[in-house]
Amino acid sequence: MASIPTSKGDNPQAPTGAAISVRNLRVNYGSREILHGINFEVPAGETLVILGGSGSGKSTLLRTLVGLETPSGGEIWMRGKNFAAMSEEDRDELRKKMGMSFQGGALFGSMTVGENVALALQEHTELDESTIEIMVRLKLDQVGLSGFENYMPAQLSGGMKKRAAIARALSMDPEILFFDEPSAGLDPIIAAGIDDLILKLKKAFRITIVVVTHELASAFLIADRMILLDKGVIVANGTTKELQASSQPRVRQFLDRIPEPELTGEIDYLQMLTGDVPPIRQ
Amino acid sequence: MDISTRQSGTATIVDVVGDITLYNSPEVRKVLLNLLKEKKSPRVIVNMLSVKYIDSAGVASLVEGLKLSRDLKSTFALFGLSRTAQEVFELTRLVRVFEIYTNEEDALRGGSPNTNAAPVR
Amino acid sequence: MAITETIGSATINGLAYIGGLARLAGSSVRTIFIEPIRGKKFHFGRAVHQAMAVGVEALPIVSLISFFIGTILALNAAYELRKFGAMQVVASAVAISMTRELGPLMTAVVVIGRSGSAFAAEIGTMKVNEEIDALETMALEPVDFLVAPKFLAMLLMVPCLTVWADFMGVLGGGVFGVSAASFTWGSYISATLDALQSRDITNGLIKAAMFGLVITAVGCQEGFSTGLGSEQVGRSTTSAVVKSIFMVVVVDLIFTAIFYLTAPR
Repeated sequence: MASIPTSKGDNPQAPTGAAISVRNLRVNYGSREILHGINFEVPAGETLVILGGSGSGKSTLLRTLVGLETPSGGEIWMRGKNFAAMSEEDRDELRKKMGMSFQGGALFGSMTVGENVALALQEHTELDESTIEIMVRLKLDQVGLSGFENYMPAQLSGGMKKRAAIARALSMDPEILFFDEPSAGLDPIIAAGIDDLILKLKKAFRITIVVVTHELASAFLIADRMILLDKGVIVANGTTKELQASSQPRVRQFLDRIPEPELTGEIDYLQMLTGDVPPIRQ
Repeated sequence: MDISTRQSGTATIVDVVGDITLYNSPEVRKVLLNLLKEKKSPRVIVNMLSVKYIDSAGVASLVEGLKLSRDLKSTFALFGLSRTAQEVFELTRLVRVFEIYTNEEDALRGGSPNTNAAPVR
Repeated sequence: MAITETIGSATINGLAYIGGLARLAGSSVRTIFIEPIRGKKFHFGRAVHQAMAVGVEALPIVSLISFFIGTILALNAAYELRKFGAMQVVASAVAISMTRELGPLMTAVVVIGRSGSAFAAEIGTMKVNEEIDALETMALEPVDFLVAPKFLAMLLMVPCLTVWADFMGVLGGGVFGVSAASFTWGSYISATLDALQSRDITNGLIKAAMFGLVITAVGCQEGFSTGLGSEQVGRSTTSAVVKSIFMVVVVDLIFTAIFYLTAPR
């Protein structure tokens, strides 16, 4: 039950009226720049899908949005505050309004599913244990895991782990939910179930959702807006329809699943084989 | 959030004004459990007319009140759910679990609750 | 690379490592003692849970090892002392070596093997599974949540285990004294008590507390520095054990030297 922005007293909106507003974001790993000035906005209640191949920087972007990486430049506006330039305490306050579902679930292996979902509530609120128990059952019911609260994460299948992780991400009634590769490594039926769940959460609680994925079918099903990331820059940004209609070569290559061209030219090929020139052209 | 109680016949009406959230739902819970357990109120009615927003902690507190009322053989009802509150109850499949009325008169009269009532606002 | 350069960079790395350990300890101290005053919760339950794992479950193995060490000390001492007909000194030799040195040291070795390695494995696994990241996105500080309870548990339990190890060591020495030398249990105990000064025991306990801090800091630090991939967890665990043993010996040396220099002559 996420808050519905229009009904809340404090207005959780960035100056531009979007739930998330990213401006000229730059992220470095050491001296190497991974994201070269990213700009985009997510309107409240909409789902943004970040598309991109391996090494495009999409995971780094997601990690930066939830505060796991520190940007080297730029701004991230959420709830009217610049997340990128905040004290650790303010950042934690904002994080209580965010939920993150990790690729592998990242459930705490030493705790039961129920304890995983209850943890943030126990740590951050003064709620009574009996209230928390009911909340945990509500959340698990929402992801279709009723009755699993006493299971250990190791006893769950991959799809169930992800559902449990989503229940944990929902525990504090977040306004923004982040998903890292929600359907990666799952069989098609379970992956479709996760897509359904994301759609339901969006419709039901009007949560703003950001999903990183490279699964095109899933992306087109759940997205309102999409950005395509390539080598740390945004090559396309628009609604699902706009992206589908785009004639930009890089977008077409990604959406039509055209492989990278092979190295042509005998000299390039020889240099690659002999190691004289690195084959990756930046 | 403000919470106050008043008596109407044998029923006790709990007026809640403001949002019920993670941070203030323990207050609601305390009032409800006190009415049911200590004051032995035979019917507790929560006035939700001025509750714009209720999160899952608020819902869980109301569920606790409902459960205690069942255990103690008293009755527990809600009235005046806002559109968002109504949605929250529908999503958690609790509309049929709670006695929900559109207004105070219906809630006091009791009888068959109008679970499919359109939201008041 | 020039030798000076190698030494220089090794020194800098070493200092940076110790700085990392100090940071862990410092922020744990803040979590345990200062934050609760400002109204932030600290879960003593978690510390109690750790204390059970660190302390109570280690009792059997600590008892057995220190009992044997006590007997070994007595045998070694008797080997030389019988030449001079000074067998009555065995009791004090065992008592002093045990309380000052071997009680704390052998306890530390057991705790490193059981708990230091477990800390590194636990935190390393959590790192690999993104659980540490998950804690952060849930606005839970991993150091507060994972490390602080371990520090508190170790700070209390290693000295407690050491006292027990001292006792078991004296008992082990006593078995030799009573069976092979001309002691009775009564005379062995009184000889032990005569030989011991309270300073021997407190110095040993100060060392034990320091060992507890060092083992926790190294174990957790190695856990947090685990790289990607589950095979890295094994590497962290091994390196936690090796580095802990080394650091414990260094701390032992430093504190023994301090006690020597500050002792009344």
